[in-house]
Amino acid sequence: MLSPAEWTALVASLVVGARAVVIGLPLAVATAWLLARAQFRGRALLDALVHAPLVLPPVVVGYVLLLTFGVQGPVGRWLDSVFGARLVFTSAGASLAAGVMAFPIMVRAVRLSIEAIDPGLELAARSLGAGRLDRFFSITLPLAMPGVIAAAIVGFAACLGEFGAVITFAANVPGETQTLPLAIYSALQTPGGEAAALRLALLSLSIALAALLLADWLGRRARRWTARP
Amino acid sequence: MRGPLRPLVALMLLGLAWPMTRAAATASGPLVYAAASLTDVLQQVGADYQRETGKAVKFSFGSTATLARQIESGARAELFVAADQEWMNHLAGRALVRRASRRDLVGNRLVLVAPVASTLQLEVAAGMPLRAALGQSGRLSLADPASVPAGKYAKAALTALGAWREVESRIVASDNVRMALLFVARGEAPLGIVYLTDAQAEPRVRVVAEFPPGSHPPIVYPAALTTNAGAEAAAFLEYLSGTAARRRFDAAGFVPAPMPQP
Repeated sequence: MLSPAEWTALVASLVVGARAVVIGLPLAVATAWLLARAQFRGRALLDALVHAPLVLPPVVVGYVLLLTFGVQGPVGRWLDSVFGARLVFTSAGASLAAGVMAFPIMVRAVRLSIEAIDPGLELAARSLGAGRLDRFFSITLPLAMPGVIAAAIVGFAACLGEFGAVITFAANVPGETQTLPLAIYSALQTPGGEAAALRLALLSLSIALAALLLADWLGRRARRWTARP
Repeated sequence: MRGPLRPLVALMLLGLAWPMTRAAATASGPLVYAAASLTDVLQQVGADYQRETGKAVKFSFGSTATLARQIESGARAELFVAADQEWMNHLAGRALVRRASRRDLVGNRLVLVAPVASTLQLEVAAGMPLRAALGQSGRLSLADPASVPAGKYAKAALTALGAWREVESRIVASDNVRMALLFVARGEAPLGIVYLTDAQAEPRVRVVAEFPPGSHPPIVYPAALTTNAGAEAAAFLEYLSGTAARRRFDAAGFVPAPMPQP
C-alpha cells in the first residue's frame, strides 16, 4: 500500500513526534504550573515567550532555531564542541523544531486543568504539613492528569503536522527529518505525484483523527478516575 | 437579534465583502508567475518596462512546481516563466499555455559553492573526491533532487561525474534553491550546489567550481503565455525577449538560452 520511502516518512514522523513529546511534556507541565500557580517577576514575559510560536510564522521559528542551534550559532557551537552533537539536519533537530511549535499547545492544555483545580485542596494539604513537591505530586498532578494526557496526545499530533519550522531548521532529509508533511510537499512538487500525496495526506489525517479520539477517550476515563472519592 | 451581537454580525458581513473589494482594486496589469531564482532580475526588468512604457506588471515568485500547480487549478496568471521544461511540458500537455508563444528565455549555470571563509579547493570532474571534501560529517546542500529543478540538475551532474552514490547519504534537500544557498551561506553545510546567479547574489558564499555544461541537461527557463493571457502580457513577453532585458539578464549572470536539443 505504501512505498518504502513513504514508510520511512511515517516512521520518521512517529520518531520525531514521540521524542518531542517525551522531552517536551515534563517541561510543559513545569511551565504550566509556574504560569498557573506561581507569582514571580517576569511571569507575563514567560507567558508571552511560551505563546510566541503560536503567533509567529513557523518559518521564523525555524530560522531563529537555525541562528541559535545551528553549528555556527551560539548554542549549536557549544553543543558541537562539548558533546559533538549536532541538531541541524538531524532527526533530533526536527524534534526540537516540532516540539517548540507544539509547546504552547501542550502548556495550554496542562495549565487549564491546573487552574481548574480547587486551590483549597492544595491549601488543605499544606495545612496538613505536605511540602511543595509533595503537594504537587500527590494533589496537583493527579488532578491535572486529563490535561496532561490531552497535552501529550494533541502535542504529538501537532508535531506530526509541523512543516515550516522543520523544513527551515532541519531541511528535508529522507529517513531523518522528512516527516509526513514534508513528504507530501515533495510529492506535490513532482509532476504526477498527486496519487502519492493523496495517500500520505489520508494517512496523516487518520493518524491525527485517531490521536484526537484517543485524547478524548483517555481524558474522559481520567476524569472519571480522578472524580472517584 | 440582541443588541451586543449586532455589531459583531455587521463586522462579519463586512469581512465577507472584503475579498471582493480587494480583487477589484488590484485588477490592473497582467500577473506574471516566475521561478524563484528569477526574483531579483525580473523585478529589475519589470521596473525598466514600467519606466519605458508606463505599463505595470505584477509578479508572483515561487517554486516552479508550486506555480505550475496553481496555474493548473485556475490561477489568473497570464505569463509563466518556469525553471525547467518538465513543468512547462506538464502545462502544455493540459493545454493551459499557448504553444506558439512558448520560448526559451535564458539559461543558467550550475556551480559548487562553499562558505566564503572556506579555503577548500576542488576541481569538478569525473572521480573528484567530493565525499572527502565534505569532511567527517559535513552535508552537501542541494535543492530537493526529487522535485526542484536545481536539485534535479545537480543530481544529474553528480551522477554523470560518478559522485552521486558516495554523497547520496550526505545530502540535505531544501524546498528551493535559495534555501540550499542559505545553509551554505550560514556555514551549516560546507558545500552546496546552486545556480551561478544565486551564488552571485549571496556575498557569504564563494564559487569553488563550475560544473561542465555537458554534465547535466541544459538549464533553461522556458516562458509561455497562459490561455487567459491578454495583449499586455504578450507585449511584456516580447520585452523580456528583447535586448534591454537581455542586458539585465547578462548582468545578473544568466547565459543565453542554449539551442534546443533535437
